[in-house]
Formats: sequence, C-alpha cells, structure tokens
Amino acid sequence: SGDTGAMDELELVDYFKTQMRENEDVASAVAAIRTLLEFLKRDKGETIQGLRENLKAAIKILSSVDSSVAVSSGGELFLRFISLTSLEHPDYSICKKTMIDRGELYLERISASRDKIANLCHAFISDGSKILTHSSSRVVLRVLEKAARAKKRFSVFITDSQPDSSGLKSAESLKKLNIPVTVILDASVGYIMEKVDLLLVGAEGVVESGGIINKIGTYQMAVCAKSHNKPFYVVAESFKFVRLYPLNQQDVPDRFKYTAEILKSAKNLAEEHPTVDYTPPSFITLLFTDLGVLTPSAVSDELIKLYL
Amino acid sequence: MATALAGRLGRGELRGSGEVAAATAGLLRRIVAHGRWSNAGELLQLIRAESRRVIAAEPSETTVGNIIRRVMKIVREEYSRLRGRGEEGDQDSLHKLLTSGGQSEDLSETLAPLRTNVIEAVNELLLELDGIQDNISVQALDHIHSNEVIMTLGRSAAVEAFLRDAARKRSFQVIVAEGAPYCQGHDLASSLSAAGIETTVITDAAIFAVMSRVNKVIIGTKTILANGGLRAVIGAHTLALAARHHSTPLIVCAAMYKLCPQFPNEENTVHKFVSPQEVLPFTEGEILCKVSTYCPVFDYVPPELITLFISNIGGNAPSYIYRLMSELYNPDDHQL
Repeated sequence: SGDTGAMDELELVDYFKTQMRENEDVASAVAAIRTLLEFLKRDKGETIQGLRENLKAAIKILSSVDSSVAVSSGGELFLRFISLTSLEHPDYSICKKTMIDRGELYLERISASRDKIANLCHAFISDGSKILTHSSSRVVLRVLEKAARAKKRFSVFITDSQPDSSGLKSAESLKKLNIPVTVILDASVGYIMEKVDLLLVGAEGVVESGGIINKIGTYQMAVCAKSHNKPFYVVAESFKFVRLYPLNQQDVPDRFKYTAEILKSAKNLAEEHPTVDYTPPSFITLLFTDLGVLTPSAVSDELIKLYL
Repeated sequence: MATALAGRLGRGELRGSGEVAAATAGLLRRIVAHGRWSNAGELLQLIRAESRRVIAAEPSETTVGNIIRRVMKIVREEYSRLRGRGEEGDQDSLHKLLTSGGQSEDLSETLAPLRTNVIEAVNELLLELDGIQDNISVQALDHIHSNEVIMTLGRSAAVEAFLRDAARKRSFQVIVAEGAPYCQGHDLASSLSAAGIETTVITDAAIFAVMSRVNKVIIGTKTILANGGLRAVIGAHTLALAARHHSTPLIVCAAMYKLCPQFPNEENTVHKFVSPQEVLPFTEGEILCKVSTYCPVFDYVPPELITLFISNIGGNAPSYIYRLMSELYNPDDHQL
C-alpha cells in the first residue's frame, strides 16, 4: 500500500477493517472517522470541491462495508467538519493542515467521550437497583463498570437479543466485573418489567426528534417500560447524532435496517428481518451524552447548532 | 460573611424564596467587593468555598445554589468580555467540538476592571430580583379570563400576587386546597378574599371530586428541576394527576431563580422531612411505638403533567427548560 499515494477503494476498505479489528472496543463511527482522516491526509487534490467529492465517494464505500447508522453519522459529521473548517481558511494548503490538526484533536476528544458519559450516568444508578439492558453496548458496559467501581450494589438483567445473541457476550463481560447478571429471553421483557427499577440502553444512532435507532427489540422494551412507569435512559456519544427524522418504523431507510451483506445479496428485502428499530422520543426519559445530560427535546437543538 | 447567612437560613428567618435570593445575591456582592482575589479563577474558588457553608445550612433551599451559579456565570461572562472574547456561549455543543482549536477557558489572567464590572452586574441582578414578582403578575391577564374557576394548593407568594393582579380587571373564582398538615391554604384564602376574590377552601381529599368544575390549576413551586419536573409542596403530584385526568391545564408560576440543574433521580437529591407531630401527635400514646410516621415536605411532579411555566421571562413549555438552563448557568458550575 503506497504511503504517499491517494487511497483507492481496496486500501480504504482494508484500513477500515484493520481499525475495527485492532480496537474491538472502539465504536464503528470512530473507526470510520479515523479512516476518513487518513484518506484526507493522503488525498492529492488541490481544491475543496474535489476533496468533498472524493470524501463522499469514500463514505459510500465504507457504508457498503458496514451499513450501520453510526458509520453514516460519522461520515456526515466529518463532511460537515470539512465544510466548517474550509469556511475559515480560503487557502487550500493552510486549510488542509488545519483540518488534519483539528481532526486529530477531535479524535482525541471523542475517545474520552465514553468516560465522560460514564461519569454523568452512574450517579443515576442508586444502591440496590435492578437494571434492564438490551443486547450489547460498550457504553452501557462502561457505565456499569463505573458504578461497580463506585461500590454500588446493583444487579443487571440483559436480553439475549436474537438473531445474533449479542447479549450473551455482554453478560460474560459483566460477570467478569463481579456484577450479578441474569440473561433473559427477548420475549420475557414484559414479564421482568415489574422487577426492574430502570432501563439503560445504548444507541446506534440518535435522530433529530430525540428518538433512537438501536438493536431490534429496543422499541418494545421502551413501550413496556412506559406502561410500567419505569425510567428509560439512553447513553450515546455525540458523534451518533444523525440528521434523520423518522415518523414511524417505515421511515427508517432500508440501508440502515439490514446488514451490508444482505443488502447486496437479498432478492426481496421484505422477506429479511431488520436488525434495528426506531424508538420515538416520547418513550425516552433522558439521554446521557458527552455534551451533557439531555432531554429528548434538546437533541434537535444540538443538531441545528451544528448543521445550520 | 457566609456564616451569618447560613445562620439565618438555619433558623428559618428568611421567609420565601424571594428573600433568600436577595440575601444570597447580597452576600455574593460582599464577597466580590471585599474578598481577597486577584483573578477570575480565584474568585470562583472563593465563591465556591463560601457557598458550601451556606448550602450545608439548609440543603433543601435550592434558591441559594441557583443564585450562586448565576453569579458565577456573570463572573465568567464579564471575564470573557474583558478579554475581548465575546459571548459565544460556553456550552459544549457538537459545533464547538468540531471547530474549536483547543483548550478550555483559562481563568487566570488578572484584569483590573473585573471587580467593578462584576459588582455592577450583581447590582443589576439584585434590581432584577426586585422586579420579578411584578414581571410574573403582569402576565396574569393573558391567562385568567372572566368567570373562570381556578384551583390552587397551599400558599405560594407568586400565585397570590398573580391572582390579585388578575382580580383588578377580571372577576373569577378560586378554589384553594388547604395543604394539610400545615394548612397554609387557609392563609391564602383569607388574603384572596380580602382582595375581593370569591374563594372556597377544600380539603386535599376533595381535589379529585371538585376537579371536573375547574378550568385551570395554578400552583407555585420550590424548585424547577433540570428535566422540567417540579419539587413542589406535598400534594402537588396528586393535584397534577387529577388535573391530567380531567385534561385541565396545569400552570406553574415560578421565578427563574428556582431553576436548578439537578435531575430528580440523581444520588444527591434532597428530601426534607419534618416532625410528624401534625400527622400523628405525641398525645396518641401507645400507637406511636407500633407505627412509623413520616411527614415529607416536598413532592415530585413529572414534566409530562405540566402545561406551562410562567416566569419573569415569559411563558415556556417544560420541554424548553433545558434551553433556559443553558442560558442561565455554566455546565462547570452544576456541581458546586
């Protein structure tokens, strides 16, 4: 792979996959932003327009590898970052240098975002509480880790989360932290709801209305929680904020609902099972992000401040 | 300086949040004027240290903490303005994360006019605090119409002024729930009828029964929490649920210094209990050893039960509270 030449499609995909493989712990959006920053460094163009076009193509390629909302939101954020920086410096070479410096700084900042969120959120877990969580989320894991280190006693119920049983993996990590954890069936969420004190889930994407896109099963958990009056907390980093405004489940674009392989190979998408669903903001109590504790109505404010 | 105010708070000499707010602002002005500090960073540390003593005297009086946070934001603003930085807003936002070149605000520069500027700004704040009651009451005519039936609970100074102001031009009825066990509703009722308003006192148990005939519910509160919920006098949650059941709008009259950056489920939320003497007097005898009696002072009202907040800056929905908070306080000061 040429160090000095611009990245072509194969190199791009390779770099992205290496990033994801080497740091299991890092979010896919961060890996995408890191890849795009590397792409920016090696880009040979001389104009902002050319750069934007190349970046857009690169983001499309990355989405075809990993079709989650997070990669898309990371890519859009990077594009916006380019636009904002280019407004400040009309000269391309100074602009490019500023972009690279700021990009590195941004990556440094967001690598600390999970800790920031854990600091905010663990105060809401009181001694003796029972927490219900869904599937596997690295941010939720960090929050629970922080609460355990603060010597709080709590127990966790975690759903198995079909079709990939990702809940089991999280349960193993929690057991290693000596937190009492019970794995339950996805179907037992209603049954267990009367026992739990609060719900805590991560998010793959946070939409403009303040709702979230997360692993399938989150919506029904939220509906059940609302009917039992249990608080439903979401933890998500700020780079997951995405400019979508779905009004119902159908509005979430198909490209986010299915994995990249299925999108390429399936003959009839209507016969495939979606892997994500949309939870409207009326079911969410609070969102914990690295920008602070937000009510769902505050999310659109943040997005407007950035994009307008 | 702080110990004197802490003493007054502890002894309960200050009646009502308005007096507490004015006293706290006065204390802070004295700290700024006479305290020993050379730059903004030291001033903020000094304020924090003094404020801990005052807050410890009466933790449920959140107005103290709120005014302190307000003044700390004033200090930061004046400092930025003197350094020529202007007011970009120091909130973390996505935009700021992406575009800022660097480090957080450095507060250690010594600027000569800072002391006088901050004192001037605190004086403005004191003036504002003086006029708050009027700013709220002047909106009364927009919300209360003739021949309406208004319900309220206990005794709130803001609601009293609000209703009296509306009574100058409109004729309406007020139903006051007494708010056992201290029954401050009785005092409110006498004050309102002295102003010529037709008032009825009801017991707390009758709230639901009477609610179908009520057009609006107007209450005051001790604290407005960061999610738009309230910490109000005990019985407020019941009142709010009854209002929601009958689809009656619930209006909260409260000044902006009641807005607190705390969330209701955080680990250090304060619940205040007083002697259950009023509920189960000591003269009851034997039964006292067999029964646990509690007399909480405050109640939590969730934001979805509230229709409108009327404050000195106008009417706002509970979902907008996060925005007001970001304008009033700096996130670094949320934890004092």
